[in-house]
Amino acid sequence: MRLYILHKTYYRYPSPVRESFNELRLHPLTNDWQRCESCFVSVLPTAQMRQYLDLNGNLVHHFEIPNDHSKLMIESRSTMVTAKRVDFESFPYGTSMKSLKEVEGNPECRPYLQSSNFIDISPEIWRMAVDVQGSSKDVFQTAYQVMEHIYLNFEYSVSTTSVGTHANEVLEKKKGVCQDFAHAAIALCRCLGIPARYVSGYFYDPTRDQSMRGSGASHAWIEVLVNGSGWFGLDPTNNRVVDDNYVIIGSGRDYRDVAPVTGTYFGRAPESMKIDVEVKRLDS
Amino acid sequence: MNPNSFQNYQTGHFFDEMFDGSNKSEAYDFYQPIYDRIGGLSASEFEEKKRQADSSFLEHGVTFTVYGDETGTERIFPFDLIPRVIPDAEWQRVEQGLRQRILALNLFLNDVYHGSKILADGVIPEEVVKSSAHFREEMIGFDVPRDIYVHVCGSDLIRDENGKYLVLEDNARCPSGASYLLENREIMKKTFPRTYQKMSVRSVEAYPEYLLRSLEYLSPRKSQKPVCVLLTPGVYNSAYFEHTFLARQMGIEIVEGKDLFAIDGFVYMRTTQGLVQVDVIYRRLDDEFLDPLFFNEESLLGVSGLMDAYLKGNVALANGIGTGVVDDKVTYAYVPEMIRYYLGQDPILEQVPTYLCWREQDRKFVLDNLSDLVVKSANESGGYGMLIGNASTQQERDEFATRIQEAPRDYIAQPIISLSRHPTFCPDGVEGRHVDLRPFILYGEDIEIVPGGLTRVALKKDSLVVNSSQGGGSKDTWVLKN
Repeated sequence: MRLYILHKTYYRYPSPVRESFNELRLHPLTNDWQRCESCFVSVLPTAQMRQYLDLNGNLVHHFEIPNDHSKLMIESRSTMVTAKRVDFESFPYGTSMKSLKEVEGNPECRPYLQSSNFIDISPEIWRMAVDVQGSSKDVFQTAYQVMEHIYLNFEYSVSTTSVGTHANEVLEKKKGVCQDFAHAAIALCRCLGIPARYVSGYFYDPTRDQSMRGSGASHAWIEVLVNGSGWFGLDPTNNRVVDDNYVIIGSGRDYRDVAPVTGTYFGRAPESMKIDVEVKRLDS
Repeated sequence: MNPNSFQNYQTGHFFDEMFDGSNKSEAYDFYQPIYDRIGGLSASEFEEKKRQADSSFLEHGVTFTVYGDETGTERIFPFDLIPRVIPDAEWQRVEQGLRQRILALNLFLNDVYHGSKILADGVIPEEVVKSSAHFREEMIGFDVPRDIYVHVCGSDLIRDENGKYLVLEDNARCPSGASYLLENREIMKKTFPRTYQKMSVRSVEAYPEYLLRSLEYLSPRKSQKPVCVLLTPGVYNSAYFEHTFLARQMGIEIVEGKDLFAIDGFVYMRTTQGLVQVDVIYRRLDDEFLDPLFFNEESLLGVSGLMDAYLKGNVALANGIGTGVVDDKVTYAYVPEMIRYYLGQDPILEQVPTYLCWREQDRKFVLDNLSDLVVKSANESGGYGMLIGNASTQQERDEFATRIQEAPRDYIAQPIISLSRHPTFCPDGVEGRHVDLRPFILYGEDIEIVPGGLTRVALKKDSLVVNSSQGGGSKDTWVLKN
């Protein structure tokens, strides 16, 4: 599938701000299932843009605006070619929960098994996770149940949480948006010993009435490691195994690692922030 | 069975759009239907097709004006019936390159009129920009509607000996040609309907819609349907046909300066129902003529007080004022640097190496090698003010040498690139003629590029100048789906 994504972010400040240093994670990555044909990231006021890879292998754009400015606009336009990673018939069943012991000590998995900024590993969450697992002995099956559990029992609500909401709070209130659903799912998976990471990206809603969630903004979901087969994406917000409707920007331990825009500046808090995301299909 | 008229076609030492030079009797796969259909026509059948097409052009009034020519000023735009075909993958890359380029050009204009960081960082020498004939000091610090300067851009692309696409120049003021692109398609559809259908060509007809949408996007009045108008210099302008055509297609009024009227920082249009406030002006008039109070006081084409309304934000202009800085061929030489600076990535489309005569080293090289270079005036367009070294006389070269020494800032030089050729019907049968490509890029809420563009062809044998004012014609351009 060929997808075009236009992602605009506007900040307006009540009084001019200065010395703004920012990192953007808006450049979708290229892997075996998706290819970034082009991605243009631009900002206004104009600034010199630099690029580098962070520790998680995500492409970061860095810029600074030393002078006074009272608005900031960040745009990214990407053209992507995506393919389906797995079909319904070929879900990676067959890896037992017991075999997770083997990956525990693996340095590549360790970050995705421990607590991180928004996620705690605690006995209470472990209790919850065990209930969700039920009698499942298969890694992918268990992760799928976690996704389904969240989709069925959590309420999608835009106004309850903020970007800084911790997974513990989400699991308690059972409400939130895609970011919170992903954090909750990661917490449950990690408590069961399944390496899980947070993925930031975009979702193209293929339904005619646009009934899926998360297509009008940047989206988030999780990936779990099925040892032997690699990372698989699960979207607890839409109860869907990640397919060619998804575009991955990057992944990390949680939201903090892959926030699309982060930075610092001197001045007052923005009086308004507006985000527009448009995902268009080019080859239909 | 007629012999195929492409049979004796010679590709010569050039890159050919239709035939692989190494195996000249074989057309590329994506050209096969054209090879079969058009090649199979007999001379008289072809004449008939040609006559039909020409009379359609005349009926549709598709004409243009050649300045400084005594023999009948208004002509139909010469049209060649063999379409140019661009495969999908090739076009994708070009499209992305153009998108990247217009983004960088816009960011550059924004920067130049707001603090000039790129100049302060020494990426582009300050004097280059400030000395440009189209740099508008009045625009410094002014926020143009939606922060977009270039709403319609026509970048000329050529292909070199190896078929690599190169950007030759950017037209960021009032590029014309979109109407020919649309008319050519209409006529090709009528002339070769089945071939057209068989090849699944991507449609171009959305252009007026995209254009109108990007104009409406600029409207300062959000509460009501924007009133957009097209401002033309009048019936004697070479592109007057295009102005009427686009206005009609978009369903907006076409106005001359005298139809508009500015009071208290608002612009109104005189209509039979009284004055109507205008929100967006698609102007097909250069900056200097827009407002006699502001620019050229002798201009009779403009509207007094228009700039006042523009600077107050009550009316939007497309393209913005001061975009000519990027048309300047000296600025052009720095576009790859702009792309690296603002977007942090390498240019997708390469461009022609350029010697800047104001640099002493370059000037010396240019003067020593005049006969191997193309010398261009930095701020002329339409193929005027240009010297092609290997086709010039000693006298012409001497004349240019003097001009370069007198005003080095105004001249640039480029190596002579033998443009790609395309089979074209000529009086003696099918022969190769040099072509370029002018795609039209629209920048509104998003960047839209209709697939392909206007392919211009130099009808004179061996000529490298494709401009319509210099005896060029055009072809339809077929971008294929997949």
